[in-house]
Amino acid sequence: MSEVIVVTSGKGGVGKTTTTANVGTGLAKLNKKVVLIDTDIGLRNLDLVLGLENRIVYNLVDVVEGNCRAKQAMIKDKRYSNLYLLPSAQTRDKSSVTPEQMLALIEELREEFDYIILDCPAGIEQGFQNAIVGADRALLVTTPEVSAIRDADRIIGLLEACETKKRCDLIVNRIRMDMVKKGEMMTIDDVQDILAIDLIGAVPDDENIVISTNQGEPLVGSDSLAGQAYMNICKRIIGEDVPLLDLSGKKGVFSKISGIFKKN
Amino acid sequence: MKNSVVIKGNKYGIMVMLDDKIPFEELKEDIVEKFKESSKFFGEASMAITFEGRKLSLEEEREVLDIISENSDIKVVCVVDNDKKREEVYKESIEKKVADAAYSNGQFYKGTLRNGQVLECESSVVILGDVNPGAKIISTGNVVILGALKGIVYAGITGDASSFVVALEMNPVQIRIGDVIARCADNKSRFKKNKPETKIAFVEDDNIYIEPLSKDVLSDLHF
Repeated sequence: MSEVIVVTSGKGGVGKTTTTANVGTGLAKLNKKVVLIDTDIGLRNLDLVLGLENRIVYNLVDVVEGNCRAKQAMIKDKRYSNLYLLPSAQTRDKSSVTPEQMLALIEELREEFDYIILDCPAGIEQGFQNAIVGADRALLVTTPEVSAIRDADRIIGLLEACETKKRCDLIVNRIRMDMVKKGEMMTIDDVQDILAIDLIGAVPDDENIVISTNQGEPLVGSDSLAGQAYMNICKRIIGEDVPLLDLSGKKGVFSKISGIFKKN
Repeated sequence: MKNSVVIKGNKYGIMVMLDDKIPFEELKEDIVEKFKESSKFFGEASMAITFEGRKLSLEEEREVLDIISENSDIKVVCVVDNDKKREEVYKESIEKKVADAAYSNGQFYKGTLRNGQVLECESSVVILGDVNPGAKIISTGNVVILGALKGIVYAGITGDASSFVVALEMNPVQIRIGDVIARCADNKSRFKKNKPETKIAFVEDDNIYIEPLSKDVLSDLHF
């Protein structure tokens, strides 16, 4: 049974593309057959984060317009043979694709893949509508900032208003535990309090993310905290019960003991 | 040609002018004749009927209607009353009922109102959920929120200053009751929460007061 997941946020720059790349790669690591679709037509980034820019020949618009077959446009990842990318067009705009065309494409891909992950553009206009129309569930990415949360709230409202009810899970990105401790940043609980949807993962603000993004090598599954956090999210997506990561980063005996208590 | 029965058309159907000088039995025969004559013209039309010129008792009115349906194919939808006084009374009582219904009735809304969503209500409303920042409730009556109020509420939008707003957690961006508007303080930290407490907002002396919901406050409410 294949699942179509849209990664969305409303606000730009909170980490949709990074999340898409890492979750997609993580699911591929877990031996799932995955295709990532970049629906941000005109502002494509996902290929960069995955380090696949130089392999693009055809794109999403070519596929829906019938210039090529979906198989031809999909790029096989250089690390995992069960991970594919369907890049977006850079020279067109969002109106080049209609929701009906997206729906038809997704139905076609469902046959072949376990997970179809759509990287949604920022905003709530046509690009957003294209991305959500065929999705079974949504991963809502937000940072612990009032502006990002406000936009995320609007997105949840729009997803709830959809004809086809979608399951919606929250990813709180770029948490800085040092600031949270000082009371300068919202805690995960504060964010959840406002948005009132299930939390599927929290990702700490990690400089390794910047490095990995620039190198085009997703860090999911690596030793870094962010890498572990993304791997946990992937495991939760496939239905495993994984406890929340202790984001404080301390490896002290005391925090380990208190961590055990928290899990229970 | 007798003129004891005259049929005229109007907006809704026909008006039947009846002579009030001749006895009712005689009038009935005239009505039979008149409608037999014109049944071809009206055909099977459905229309409202008005009687004028003669006061008919309920019994007489029914007899006339029977005659009409027997002697023509007209379908009488209703009898329109032309009595001015009675019309006034009806109008008044209907308007009163409508106003009462809007005021004392309430609706329920289940779910969280999110950024960008607006709930408009021609009555009081009870929200079973939160009202998030950026969401708005507009009501002609009272607003009760069984959750946190973090957005905007307009209560008594038609100018009713006796309306009130209750929330389990009162943190509105803006609150408006009748014609009075209040907004939250500017320097409040947006994510440091005070302990949630059920509060009520109401108008007194053209100011909006927000107080913990207590028995004293409740007994002072007049609506």
